[in-house]
Amino acid sequence: MKFSNNGYYIEQYIKCSNCGMLLYSDGLKSEIAPNEVFCSKWCIDWSSAKADGVEEPKIPFGHEKLHEIG
Amino acid sequence: MDMIHMNIVESAMIAIAREMGINVQKTAYSTIFSEAEDFTCALANRNGELIAVADFCPAQIGGVPLLVRSMVKEIPLSDMNEGDVIVHNDPYRGGLHTPEHTVFKPIFVEKEIVAFSVCIGHFVEVGGMVPGGFPGEATEVFHEGLRVPPVKIMKEGEDVPEVWKMMLANVRTPRGNYGDMRALISAVDLGEERLKSLIEKYGAEAFEKTVQDLMDYSEKRMRAELETFKDGKYTFIDTIEDDGIEDKEYEIHVAVYVQGGEVVVDYTGSSKQAKGPINATLGVAWSAAFNAILHMTDETIPLNSGCLRPIRVIAPAGTVMNVDYPGSSVGGNTESHPLIVCAIFGAMVDCVPDRVMASEGTTHGCFVFGGHDPLNDEPYGGFDFSYVGYGGRLFADGNDATDSINGNCANTPMEVFETRFPWIVEEYALRPNSGGPGKFRGGLSNVKQMLCTGEMLVSQMTNKHKLSAWGLEDGQEGALGATLYKKSGTEKWETTVEGYGKVSPSKYSNIPMTPGDRVRVLAPGGGGYGSPLERSRASVEEDVREGYVTEDRAKEFYGL
Repeated sequence: MKFSNNGYYIEQYIKCSNCGMLLYSDGLKSEIAPNEVFCSKWCIDWSSAKADGVEEPKIPFGHEKLHEIG
Repeated sequence: MDMIHMNIVESAMIAIAREMGINVQKTAYSTIFSEAEDFTCALANRNGELIAVADFCPAQIGGVPLLVRSMVKEIPLSDMNEGDVIVHNDPYRGGLHTPEHTVFKPIFVEKEIVAFSVCIGHFVEVGGMVPGGFPGEATEVFHEGLRVPPVKIMKEGEDVPEVWKMMLANVRTPRGNYGDMRALISAVDLGEERLKSLIEKYGAEAFEKTVQDLMDYSEKRMRAELETFKDGKYTFIDTIEDDGIEDKEYEIHVAVYVQGGEVVVDYTGSSKQAKGPINATLGVAWSAAFNAILHMTDETIPLNSGCLRPIRVIAPAGTVMNVDYPGSSVGGNTESHPLIVCAIFGAMVDCVPDRVMASEGTTHGCFVFGGHDPLNDEPYGGFDFSYVGYGGRLFADGNDATDSINGNCANTPMEVFETRFPWIVEEYALRPNSGGPGKFRGGLSNVKQMLCTGEMLVSQMTNKHKLSAWGLEDGQEGALGATLYKKSGTEKWETTVEGYGKVSPSKYSNIPMTPGDRVRVLAPGGGGYGSPLERSRASVEEDVREGYVTEDRAKEFYGL
């Protein structure tokens, strides 16, 4: 989510390349997919596993607090 | 805190949320709040986590975490003061669609924010290209009404007149919208007052700890429940029949990964976003996944963000499951949400066959209208629900004439409807034969025929006029829905395609109606479960006796 300098409007909507979450921060980058941006380590790992052809990636959620504000 | 006190605090918070809802019902101007109950009231903690919610409209519950997140990202906690009220309806910032307005009120204890009082309500009139908020032919969000980013509508207990004026200048029914917004604000005021009393009773620190414990408990219960599901990948594809703009189908792909007490709902593979307004927002994609999982799990698990932690949603951007700006989305929340839920049920039938149903009618009808009321000399706007048949289950027939699975909205009594709007209802009944045949029959939908008594424009956003509700395990399809118009002085019933040159019979904008015109709205029936030949003879005979199934149909499908 890129706001104008004065914050009055949005110049660009940026979403996680894996799960589609709207990103208010710069997001996370991955060496494997340098042109993409992610909301969490979990999404990087899931996306990488899928790209490697893993049919059912098993990546525990951990405590990234996806459903909280952060 | 011990389990007993935790339970007391949870029950008290749910009671607060319910009381907030009753407040909305009793103070609102519009029938969609006072009769249909198309709103949700909730409490969230200062981290934006849902801590309690009342059982009103399920579509809105799953949107709360994303809505609160956007609000706090754009209005930091440090910029909030006691008495502030924030309003927000932006579909691209966690919102569900433009009619759904959310108001938040921070709750302060000793000058610190401890929680938020939250109320989401569906406004009938939001401006845009049609009266009534459902432009079936919208192609961008600007057709769908005024988009409100998170802004303060009240500051420190005082109205912000500029925001009120801006919002009310952009709708057709400013008096009604003003009254409805006041109803939502009065609800969050009440939530604030009641929660403060509760916190005073236990102390802020103990309250916060209790709420954390409650969410952790809810998470544990949900993980334990999901651990009883067999691990695996479960898939299903359902289809959106058209988008109102092109006579073209769109696919919803669902893959549910069940993995040791955690679930990933992945929509990868779904069609690219449509031109027309059937796209889901991210909030809808989340909400539908939560809705489906909550329907398949123990209903006694406390409903808060804790029980949502083991669920993760993948909704690729730019698809019908996560619309990108400025794509249209007003029907995503009403039509695509129930399709997604049913697609998840379709996927999970091999995992938890006793907890899913065949497809329901997957629409709320969303028959909207508006014009100028000569009696009161003011504009009006109305929303009329249709009630679908639910799908048959492993152990029971589908529910008859029920609001679609994400709405839970109540029927508006005919007396109220006819008093408030220029319609006379000529028929309102269950549709015989609309339930899909099965060992457990699909639920019957309803039919409503209305005579128009005033000048108005009518629009609709509905579904299953071309593709029926599917059955499961050899159950048969439910009946298609239809909306038919008969112009005054003619005898011919026509769809909007036949009579008005529209692309879609189920999604369209601004049909002009005049006194003497008629409309007949037939909602779709639910799909059946199991082979109809296995239905008990006594049940078939009872169906015939009650008029749910005709004799020739009983012979054709059930061998009676």
